[in-house]
Amino acid sequence: MLSFAAQSPQLQLVQPAGFDFKHRNSPTTQKYLLETMGGGVALLDYNNDGLLDIFLVNGGKLDDPVKGPVDFHRRESVFWNRLYRQNRDGTFTDVTASAGLSDAGNNYGMGVAVGDYDNDGFPDLYVTNYGHNTLYHNNGDGTFTEVTAQAGVAAGGWSASAGFFDYDNDGRLDLFVTRYLDWDIHRNILCGTPFHSYCRPDKFAGVTNALFHNEGDGRFRDVSVTAGIGGVKGKSLGVAFNDYDGDGFADIFVANDGMEQFLFRNKGDGTFQECALDAGVALSEDGKPFAGMGVAFADYDNDGRPDILVTNLALEKYAVYRNEGGGRFQYASLTTGLAGLTAGSSGWGVGLYDFRNNGRKDVFAAQGHVLDNVEKIHSGLRYLEPPAMFQNREGKFTKGDLGNPPAVAGRGAAFGDLNNDGYVDVVMSVLGGHPIVFANRGAANHWLTLKLIGVHSNRDGAGAKVKVGNQWAYATTSGSYLSASDSRLHFGLGPESEAAVEIVWPSGRKQLLEHAAADRILTVREPE
Amino acid sequence: MMAALLSLWLAFQITTDVKQHVEAGLAAKRAGDLDTAIREFRRVTELAPELAAAHVNLGAAYYQKKDYGAAVAPLRKALEINPDLPGAHEMLGTALLAQGYAADAIPQLEKARSDALLGVALLEAGRVREALDKLEAALEKQPRDPDLLYYVGQAHARLSRDAFDVLVASHPDSARAKQLLGETAAAAGNREAAEKHLQAALDARPDLRGAHFALGELYLGSGDYERAEREFRAEAGLSPGSAAAAYKLGLAAANRGEVDIALTELRRANVLQPGMPETLLELAKATAANGDLVTAERLLRQVLEQEQDSSLAGSAHFQLAQIYRKLGRAPDADKEMTRFQEIRRHPR
Repeated sequence: MLSFAAQSPQLQLVQPAGFDFKHRNSPTTQKYLLETMGGGVALLDYNNDGLLDIFLVNGGKLDDPVKGPVDFHRRESVFWNRLYRQNRDGTFTDVTASAGLSDAGNNYGMGVAVGDYDNDGFPDLYVTNYGHNTLYHNNGDGTFTEVTAQAGVAAGGWSASAGFFDYDNDGRLDLFVTRYLDWDIHRNILCGTPFHSYCRPDKFAGVTNALFHNEGDGRFRDVSVTAGIGGVKGKSLGVAFNDYDGDGFADIFVANDGMEQFLFRNKGDGTFQECALDAGVALSEDGKPFAGMGVAFADYDNDGRPDILVTNLALEKYAVYRNEGGGRFQYASLTTGLAGLTAGSSGWGVGLYDFRNNGRKDVFAAQGHVLDNVEKIHSGLRYLEPPAMFQNREGKFTKGDLGNPPAVAGRGAAFGDLNNDGYVDVVMSVLGGHPIVFANRGAANHWLTLKLIGVHSNRDGAGAKVKVGNQWAYATTSGSYLSASDSRLHFGLGPESEAAVEIVWPSGRKQLLEHAAADRILTVREPE
Repeated sequence: MMAALLSLWLAFQITTDVKQHVEAGLAAKRAGDLDTAIREFRRVTELAPELAAAHVNLGAAYYQKKDYGAAVAPLRKALEINPDLPGAHEMLGTALLAQGYAADAIPQLEKARSDALLGVALLEAGRVREALDKLEAALEKQPRDPDLLYYVGQAHARLSRDAFDVLVASHPDSARAKQLLGETAAAAGNREAAEKHLQAALDARPDLRGAHFALGELYLGSGDYERAEREFRAEAGLSPGSAAAAYKLGLAAANRGEVDIALTELRRANVLQPGMPETLLELAKATAANGDLVTAERLLRQVLEQEQDSSLAGSAHFQLAQIYRKLGRAPDADKEMTRFQEIRRHPR
């Protein structure tokens, strides 16, 4: 399916046959804030055939204005979420209906999380909404069953990003759900003069995020309050997990809009402490809050400590926090050059991935302003923007070549190797438009992709820390914005044709593969 | 003024009937019942039409009621009968001015010798330079008066606009006219037009001072640090003695991650105009980024000598907290962070 000219950009726009999704956000003159925030995208291998499939979250119908009991018309097929199965030839087939995913309930869709919460070897789907969220259990036969009520994870209000992770290392994936604002479509307010525009988040109160503990019998228990998550109210949009202090327990970074960011340090006893300010990741370099949207929580400088990258609005500069050890981060947007590259852009979905397989993680960001009339308000800014790729050159970022992608209202972004060629591809969701697939043209560098199978740990191996050469990666599908990425871990090896692989599983077990041959997808099972 | 008017009553030969209405009018006025006062004074003017005090009191009642339109005629009549009536000129001038008859108000206010009101009338009549003299004289006596400050500002703006109008009309293709149009468009948020005019100005006169700076500000404001740096560098080349150009060049370079350039330019700005808190703050940040935490701390302390509760002070405390944490001085870091939070909660 994918062939490239020699001089083509590293990530190149392609249009796979059969992949025909269109996001419907239903913009209105009321400027319901909801309209401009969706929607998510996930890359998952739902049928375990070795090929990544694509799930997309749709918005819903909004009357202009909404009157009486709201009906998002999700029964109509144009408003369905969609699952596209990848075929052997790189084309896609819409399997939404046959997979049992056509019923989204009367909700307005936002994001998606992927994880095998029941350890049956098949990834499950959790869809966040304005309204109630939905958990779809993967039956393993190509179909899903909606199990939200039994599982007790409906949440409510306006949820945004969510993610599965095992915060207590008990071998079962728990669930974290961000919630955005205390906002009600029936109490909409009009903002902006002389042009109506979407309201700033400071017009609304914040809300608490939710943490659900996996009880192991298909049910989850809301532990938000007892775990210390519910003690702080945020305006949360993005979430990512990593073990920033190296204590073996997954910590949580939450991107908040227009206020300080959250870093929930996992105390290892089932509780968390919000410590973003002390850790130096709450605010900008000047101590100012910003509009945190998407987040990547990964080690960009190969020092073994996970760093944090948060996308935000134009003129704020994407925030990079370099992990300096000792539980402290240093604002590094200026010194990495990323400030200069992003100050005029508004970012959402984001990932730190080694697109060139040279051993250094680059940045990809979905972009576009939140205000569809921002040009009228600030003529130097743009609503529609092309996505951006920034190449990592020894810890400094420079603009990468994406060819000439269209300017769109980019939102979600999911990362994964669609064609299993060892190079990371990207699927980006577009507000009110068709998603964009960037296929990686590859290069001569070697690579290694690891598919983890947890035994004592959760079956996905989520939370495993893997070292290959001087690179570290953390097993997770979470991060970015409203999106879920390939669960496999990817490493670029440059000229090396083999690598030593060290794995620290969430169970604490350590595993060493001394001479793993390059250029293959290696399935690694946790030792008994 | 009231005592003077009363003496006028007394000086005049009045009948009992007139006297009764006068007293009733004055009592009503004292009680704040202006409608009754007006009714009584009007009756007095009918009974004693040549009594100037009757007209001036009727006018004063209307004036007090802020019915300036109705106040004008009796005040005019009073001054016709007695041109030296105390207080009447000021009331008439003010009533005329309040209705927009600035030119008519001027002779009255000249006689009243009110610099402030006369200044406003002159300004509204388009005699801006004379207005500015009067307004600035008044401002010397009341330096914090918000109305006066507003009108002084207006007068300066008008003068500047007049000069610019002449510039654009007489030399429409000149570099300065283009520069002016560019700056005006930039102030109005019209980035595209601003860029076009400023570039045209520089095309016409490459050594034009200020145009590169304005372009730099435009790019800085939209996050385009690369172009901002280029423009500020050009401005600094034309004006090597400009601390503002050096500061902005340093700021743009810092935002591009060019710490060495930022340090050089910010140090230069601090030499050209020593001790500016904005420069010191940015210099401290660049110095800290370069690893010299001790110097950065000293610079931030200098900022805090000048700024206590401003956002600049907040930022300095925030930077200090980061520096102390790096230096392992946790109690000092906590103290700075507490102060930062206090300022954040109660911004000045």
